[in-house]
Amino acid sequence: MTLPRRFSFSETAPRISNLGSWARLLRAGALTLAGTLCLAGGPVQADGGIKIGSIFDLTGGLNIYGIQQNNALKLAVDALNAKGGVLGKPIEVVSYDAQSELSKYTQYANTVILRDRVSALFAGLTSSSREAIRPIVRKANIPYFYGSLYEGGACDKQTFVTGPSASQQLSVLIDWAVKKYGKRIYIMAPDYNFGTISAHWVKDYAKKAGAEVVGEDFLALTVTDYAPTIQKIQSVKPDFVVALPVGANQTGFLEQFAAAGLKDKIGVVSTNYGSGNQQVVVSPAAGKGLIADQGYFQVVDGPANTEFVKLWSAKYGSDTPIISEAVDIWNAVHLWAAAVDKAGTVQAAPVIAALESGLSFDAPNGTVTLEPKSHHLRQNIYIVEGDDRHGFKVVETFKDVAPSYENEKCDLKANPTLAQHFAPDGK
Amino acid sequence: MNLSEKLYQRAGLIFPILATGGALAAASFIDPYLAYVATSWVIFGLLGLSLDLVWGRGGLLSLGQTAFYGLGGYFGSIVAINMAPLTGNTLLWSLPAGAAFGATSAAALGAIIFLARMGPLQATILSYTFTLLLWSLTQSFTATVGQAVVGGDNGLSNIPGVVVGFGQGAEALGPVEVFVTVVIVSAATYFLCWWLMRGTFGRVIDCIRIDAQKAELLGYDIRKYQIANFSLAGAIAGLAGAMFAGWANYLNPSIFSVQEALLVPIYVLVGGLGTLAGAFVGAFAIGGLSFYLGGGAVGGQTTLILGIVLILLVLFLKNGLVGAMGELWRRTLPDPNAAARDAGAVSIDPEVLEGILVEAAQQAGPAKRLATVDLYKRFGGVIPVNKISRTFEPGRPYSLIGPNGAGKSSYLKACVGIYMPEAGSVTVGQTDATNAPIFERVHQGVGVKNQKPQIFGELTVVENLSIAAYARTGDKPAAAGISRQILAMLGFERQAKVQASALSHGQQQWLDIGMVLCLAPRVVLLDEPAAGMTNEETRELSALVRTLARHTTVIVVEHDMEFVRTLEGHVTVLHQGQVFAEGDIAALRADDRVLDIYLGRREHV
Amino acid sequence: MELDYLATVLLSSLSSASILLIATIGLAVVFGLMGVINLAHGEFLMIGAYAALTATQYGIPFVIAIPIAIAVTMTIGAVVEVLIIRRLYGRLFDTMLATWGLSIAFYQLAVLIFGTVTPGIGMPQFNLRIGNYSLAGYPLLMIAVAAVATVFVYVLMTRTVYGMKARAAIQMPEMARAIGIESARVNTLTFAIGCGLAGFAGAVLLPIVPATPSMGFAFVIKAFLTVVVAGPVTLTGSALTAVGLGGGASVTASFLTSVAGDAFFFLITAFLLWLYPLGITAKWRTKM
Repeated sequence: MTLPRRFSFSETAPRISNLGSWARLLRAGALTLAGTLCLAGGPVQADGGIKIGSIFDLTGGLNIYGIQQNNALKLAVDALNAKGGVLGKPIEVVSYDAQSELSKYTQYANTVILRDRVSALFAGLTSSSREAIRPIVRKANIPYFYGSLYEGGACDKQTFVTGPSASQQLSVLIDWAVKKYGKRIYIMAPDYNFGTISAHWVKDYAKKAGAEVVGEDFLALTVTDYAPTIQKIQSVKPDFVVALPVGANQTGFLEQFAAAGLKDKIGVVSTNYGSGNQQVVVSPAAGKGLIADQGYFQVVDGPANTEFVKLWSAKYGSDTPIISEAVDIWNAVHLWAAAVDKAGTVQAAPVIAALESGLSFDAPNGTVTLEPKSHHLRQNIYIVEGDDRHGFKVVETFKDVAPSYENEKCDLKANPTLAQHFAPDGK
Repeated sequence: MNLSEKLYQRAGLIFPILATGGALAAASFIDPYLAYVATSWVIFGLLGLSLDLVWGRGGLLSLGQTAFYGLGGYFGSIVAINMAPLTGNTLLWSLPAGAAFGATSAAALGAIIFLARMGPLQATILSYTFTLLLWSLTQSFTATVGQAVVGGDNGLSNIPGVVVGFGQGAEALGPVEVFVTVVIVSAATYFLCWWLMRGTFGRVIDCIRIDAQKAELLGYDIRKYQIANFSLAGAIAGLAGAMFAGWANYLNPSIFSVQEALLVPIYVLVGGLGTLAGAFVGAFAIGGLSFYLGGGAVGGQTTLILGIVLILLVLFLKNGLVGAMGELWRRTLPDPNAAARDAGAVSIDPEVLEGILVEAAQQAGPAKRLATVDLYKRFGGVIPVNKISRTFEPGRPYSLIGPNGAGKSSYLKACVGIYMPEAGSVTVGQTDATNAPIFERVHQGVGVKNQKPQIFGELTVVENLSIAAYARTGDKPAAAGISRQILAMLGFERQAKVQASALSHGQQQWLDIGMVLCLAPRVVLLDEPAAGMTNEETRELSALVRTLARHTTVIVVEHDMEFVRTLEGHVTVLHQGQVFAEGDIAALRADDRVLDIYLGRREHV
Repeated sequence: MELDYLATVLLSSLSSASILLIATIGLAVVFGLMGVINLAHGEFLMIGAYAALTATQYGIPFVIAIPIAIAVTMTIGAVVEVLIIRRLYGRLFDTMLATWGLSIAFYQLAVLIFGTVTPGIGMPQFNLRIGNYSLAGYPLLMIAVAAVATVFVYVLMTRTVYGMKARAAIQMPEMARAIGIESARVNTLTFAIGCGLAGFAGAVLLPIVPATPSMGFAFVIKAFLTVVVAGPVTLTGSALTAVGLGGGASVTASFLTSVAGDAFFFLITAFLLWLYPLGITAKWRTKM
């Protein structure tokens, strides 16, 4: 059997934006229809462009992230194409919806490589999606960009990570929080790699700061009942809690924590609060005063960000704050484009070499630099505090924080055949 | 039989052969990416096949197939990662290891489900719980086994691809070759299943799905068959998992997720439940649709469209794609059950019956007595069997009579093992059978016909008889011989190929009696055998019971006093779970107390 | 172990069990009275939450938003019954498949209409102190809500004409028809009530579980297990299993780990099914 060719995204193709009303629903319907007609009319694809692939979760439980990642990719491509594309050619995007299903990543990753023959792949949110893709791009030898904060340690020649790693975020956060709140730390983390590895780094940095972890609780991913955790926290009386809730449902923890009257006595800091726009969901009463730290928040200052937010709002509206994963993808596309221009070709080897040349980019979140050895991003880490209007204000900016653990473990220049996932001992 | 009919009969063989051939031929020209993606659909189809075995054929909706699939994948990959460097070839390690581990874990779960005799919904939910528990526990489970690193949510990476060559230089196959390999393995598995499910094993599994109690009343230890079928399905799921791991080069706990678990029954239902091949059709249909939609065809509304398509499929295609096509095709064929209308009244030649019974006695031994001592069974506040002690001997029929609620049927069920008594004992011949399960009592020579005809409606008349005969003989030719004899005795030769459900109610009663006779029982228990029969049929039945009683012990529960009179046997009156009176029918008819309990009077009691 | 800790654990475990029961009760009604497994139950919960949330955004007080949510979900439930469920009676697994399709379609519709994130209404800021511990007040209130909801459904099913008709329609459909009960209409109402109860759950739990398109998913698995372990006497049985399984899991999580709590839930479910292959109430003689 053969499948009809799917149309690629172009200016006329339907857009997935943050729809917020019935009017937008209707518009989506009309666009869907238009898309179908488009399909019936055959593929809309210009010759001579440079193809890149994207696989994100546009539907299903992870689309909180996937839609924005995909939007950022298209925005970046539009911005680059407006300036003439790369190597004088327009960039074309082949876009797939992984439907929050892991086996779809494997299917589509192979499809973009075998059929669409893309020059680079931008894909994935969860660590498992990245791990599913890595062996495929390694075999195909094309640069692959992963744009999300994660537990850290992914290392091979084709993979480039533009989000911060857990140690990168925690290295500044723990120190800061110990100074602000005190030396007794409690960890509340999801029970999988991101949580357990983050907990390791918390302990590590706590020791360096002369603080101690007085308790930890690893939560099953399906948990909706936070009362046990809150009791455990109260029984050890920490100065602050490192809370790493995953998914919108887990914001229930923060509500319950605040309602129990604990928020004013015990600080709450997090490396992933806000990355799924949890601050929008959490009520002002529970969200005010929460501390988060990431590589990007929409409130960060700077001309590049102002420009970026303006572009974004013009295309997608400003109903939903921009998440850090979107900026990670924006940065990834620009770094790739810069590398292609520098290499003068889209061939994998020269592009990877160019990516390893210490590329810098004036990103919305400040200047970012791709570390040549570890393929991770040296970037600013912002510590923000929740306000009472579902937003944040920046309280401290740490400039040019290096992914030090990845730099230490992963030297792809010296050892280009490395294909590893490093994790701190015992994790 | 015309060509279309012949083709229809063998559709489960011919079309899959054509499909396999087509797939292999297509491999020579399709795009590698399509071969790659289609490979995963074939694997999902194989996973669907494993569910169809336990659900479509066995009758249990298992949501644990992805658990066996994932376990087989993990285990097969761990073995392959460590052992494949020795041989080069990976399938040699991963497939047997995956299948074995899938089978073992399925056998363990199946043992719990079937030995506890769980209800269907409870069994479904237990299998689901098993999958969820695995999902929950594997998220943070990390271990290093030799070269294999199981990394919790980050999964198991560097699983070797599909290598069929041997030695150090053997290379992993490209997408098209992998597709061909997977198609061959899946086709081989399918044909094995098709052959198994067409044979006696499949028939017994079908019987258990249609009427588990009857299957056990024929003497089949249904739990063994169910566990065996479940393990087979587990092996196939494990095999599919091992191939999936080789295809993706990566496994992660999401294989145990709720979404994955629910996709498998969807493949099966969309394809057609119980058709075996339907699973592959469903996997291609759903896999293809969601792949196509996810490619941007609906502007990011993939799941919306998918959900609506599913609802429409369920509403308008009742038996799935394969089932609906089969149904359309069948309508063009002559009605195979037409012969059912020609069946005349059953008339049994006593000499033929005599001959069959004598032969049965030669094979199965002399008639046995059935005895109960203080047999006691209660349900809450009701005591339908209250310390009944009786001994039944061969020679002349025994009748149990009594008003509604006297405990007649309950007593019979307690003797058979359908109800487990709280106290007292049941002895068959010289053997104590008080705590024996139903099928063991049947092995000891108990044959039962319940009030409603218990026949396997989807099977043909001759299949009904031979499955009963096979239960005793365990030998196909012998079973065929016996079933031919009984078929001839009942005068059903022309209806042999008719589906049993097409027979009239009275004919179904006779078929049921015929199935009991196939068992060569040494003690026969009949619960209201004359219910729903014409006068003519009742007379035939009476003659049959009397002949039967000369060769075996016969106990009849009956309402119809006239029928009981014609049996000329010993009569026991039960009342409120106890023996109220006994003797011959004339004496009891004269007994006012017996009339009282029948009429609900209290004059003489 | 200090006494105040113990008291806190017990009280909050009871509240966790109550939350589970609130989320389960609609499913129990639909399954108990119609034999239908509604896999879209979680999405009805989500619809109820969004309905209540939207109402509060228009300035309607939360207490009044709850009946609005019930009305919305009941209406949608009735439409779904007439369009889909009615055509599939007696086909348990087809119904499961159709409602699963419904659930993924509803999920995507919610994303289209409300986007992926919507501001929550937050939890009322009051709490209860026990010794050194303080507990959020709203989840504790759920104990009373669960009790009231259970009694309400019990009375509805056993003391009202509708309830008798509904039970008659499922226990003896032919007899019910013979005495003039329009089982189709009764079933539409039953399904609508089940969905309305889901909507009620979504609305009343909104301060605890913020409205997101995927919120139903978090509850629905445990709700199913609860109903199925309960067996044929669904309402009373579900109340018992919710307290036993949900409360037990919460206590386990308090003294051990959250994962142990989850494992407790699943393992005890398996164990109960092994002990009571047809559900814990299989041999009861009560009817609701």
